[in-house]
Amino acid sequence: MTLSTPTGLAGFDDLLSSHVVMVTGKGGVGKTTTAAALALAGVASGRRTILVEVEGRQSFSRTFGTARWDYEQREFRPGLWGMAIDPADSVYEYLDRFYGLKRVQWVMERSHALDFVTTAAPGLKDLLLLGKVYDLEIQRRSDGRRRYDLIVVDAPPTGRIVPFLQSPEGVTEIVRVGPIQRQAGSMWEMLQNPQRLRTVVVSLLEEMPVQETIEAVHALRELGVDVGPLVANQVTVPRVSEPQRDQLRDLGASGLREQVTKDGARMSGRTSQLLLDLVRTHRDQVELQERLRDELVGSCALPLLALPLMTSPTFEVPDLEVLADVLALQLGEDGPHAQARFDDTELEAAIAAARPSPVSGGTS
Amino acid sequence: MTPPATAPTARGDLGDDVATAHILVTTGAGGVGKTTTAAALALAAARAGRRTLVLTIDPARRLAQAMGLEELDDDPRQVELEDLPDGGELWAMMLDMQTTFDRLIDRHATSPERARAIKENRIYRTLSSSLAGTQEYMAMERLHELHEADGWDLLVIDTPPTRSALDFLDAPKRMSSFLEGRLLQLLLRPGLAAGRGIGRMVGASASAFMRVAGKVTGMGLMEDLAEFFRNFEGMYAGFKERAEQVLELLRDPDSRFVVIASPEPPPLREARFFLERLEQEGLHAAGLVVNRIRPEVPRDPSDSAIERVAEAQPDDRQGRSVAGALWLLRDVRNLAGRQRRDVAAALYGVTVPARVDVPLLGGDVHDLAGLDTIATVLTTGKTR
Repeated sequence: MTLSTPTGLAGFDDLLSSHVVMVTGKGGVGKTTTAAALALAGVASGRRTILVEVEGRQSFSRTFGTARWDYEQREFRPGLWGMAIDPADSVYEYLDRFYGLKRVQWVMERSHALDFVTTAAPGLKDLLLLGKVYDLEIQRRSDGRRRYDLIVVDAPPTGRIVPFLQSPEGVTEIVRVGPIQRQAGSMWEMLQNPQRLRTVVVSLLEEMPVQETIEAVHALRELGVDVGPLVANQVTVPRVSEPQRDQLRDLGASGLREQVTKDGARMSGRTSQLLLDLVRTHRDQVELQERLRDELVGSCALPLLALPLMTSPTFEVPDLEVLADVLALQLGEDGPHAQARFDDTELEAAIAAARPSPVSGGTS
Repeated sequence: MTPPATAPTARGDLGDDVATAHILVTTGAGGVGKTTTAAALALAAARAGRRTLVLTIDPARRLAQAMGLEELDDDPRQVELEDLPDGGELWAMMLDMQTTFDRLIDRHATSPERARAIKENRIYRTLSSSLAGTQEYMAMERLHELHEADGWDLLVIDTPPTRSALDFLDAPKRMSSFLEGRLLQLLLRPGLAAGRGIGRMVGASASAFMRVAGKVTGMGLMEDLAEFFRNFEGMYAGFKERAEQVLELLRDPDSRFVVIASPEPPPLREARFFLERLEQEGLHAAGLVVNRIRPEVPRDPSDSAIERVAEAQPDDRQGRSVAGALWLLRDVRNLAGRQRRDVAAALYGVTVPARVDVPLLGGDVHDLAGLDTIATVLTTGKTR
């Protein structure tokens, strides 16, 4: 299908052009789901992709139903690798590689030395996590191609993303010389280069998440880190238009009930009254959503991709594939899973919900 | 077909806790509505005639404005409310971590010079914001100060949205074990560790580690650390004692925890771990609040009937409206069913004294009227 509403992004190459995509967002907005959908879109585009967890939450292993993820990079779906970066493993690898100090590990574990150092110099922990992402980004295969075409990181939430990305700079204030300082400099170069790294901010079209997203986008720009498209997650797909709401209201609970029951279905007076209330709150929500979308796009001046609220009775891995394909369709790519799940009208409605209205959005 | 949604735990309300508790701690994952719930609980208590203070961590400007305050800071400010019964007052403040930590240093430092030296140390400056659990610990420290200041019938305290909501229980322990840690001792008095056996090995290796650490990080960091902890000497006992008092206060039966989740698996998992943890620690849970839950949809018409009737609607104005409404009904039923199953699954085998479902209200809470609506649900379990 061809979407009537362009996003301003042309194809996978436009969305996934950076080597590293850092996915952030306010707590509870679906950062992890979005990161997983982006990684699946990466795989669908033929990119060798790795999904990276940095907060030790085991969210992806739960999402994909695999065994626990650890520091080992493992292919868990064709073309898709996963790893969970732990600061301790990162420091052991670092000491081993640069100093041949494998044996120090035992001592450090016994003495809790690492807890101590990372506690006293907090940026160090972030630096170790980010250092491993940097390491993944610079690795090359034997033929000289990058080890991974796309690295998708489920990054810390918006409240922590700036100190996290700032850690190379922060640490250079505490650590004045030595290899950490030098490496922090190289990491900083990666962070400032949109070809190599960009952030994607996920939001819900609700008031607090939108405010926090706008603040985060400004803070990230201040930092000099590229901010890619915004993703509006759990967008309510409009089922009823404004005139339809009015029509249903005029029809009333008994009229609605009559219309439904004449075809042999059961519907109590209570349910038909509830349904009219639902229609009203649904429209309120859709209108609030449109207003917030315009505010978001207007104050960030970034393309916005929509992920619809999935209303299936369960949410499983195939739903992630559908979401990845919804992203693909918005880029003008194929999206077979999404088209199998939704009819064209529903898809249009879901995606159009993220398009700014012509008057107020998108241009400022 | 969707199986019927069931509620495994008795529903209830927090009316009794609002009326009798001395401390209520709200806790849960980020983005679940902790701050709003804390404010609504405090408002309910004020309306019940109690002198109440809500202490938040979040600089939630909107919430401050909802309570008619420009902004919140480290001093309690009174919220202007009409029609309060005698004795009922609502005050709000925002915790300033740095101020609290500074006060703690001033109180326990062995001399004003040492207090100043600590506060000027760059390790201290980063420590206050980053030592795992420090934020949480400072919140509890401030709570204790306010408790001692007396005059409050109820203190409602919001905890920071940490990745793991459990952190602050560990904070006093972590803080004292950090301050007493072996490595710290080595750093302060390297001679001490030169004992026998494992101790000797660890001691020798730790010195090796310190050399490596110095090499890797540059020496400045290690010198600053040593200086910082030398200044801290003599304060450990005071800190530890204070940490124990804080825990004791939290263990009092009049201190109760309100665990908050939204109806999705990740925050529900955190809520579950938290409820289990409270039980292990001998702390008192008031109950679980599940925020923003969808209304339950009756079983009529059935899912298959919805599908049949919606598809049979004529392709005219009214037919399309009725079909749209029916699809909406199916969406909401699916979501409500999913949410209730997720809640039930997360609570399997966990006992909760009370569980309150707060329905999804259109939009955010902007004003006292919105807070009052939530307060009513929390204290009565009913929307009105």
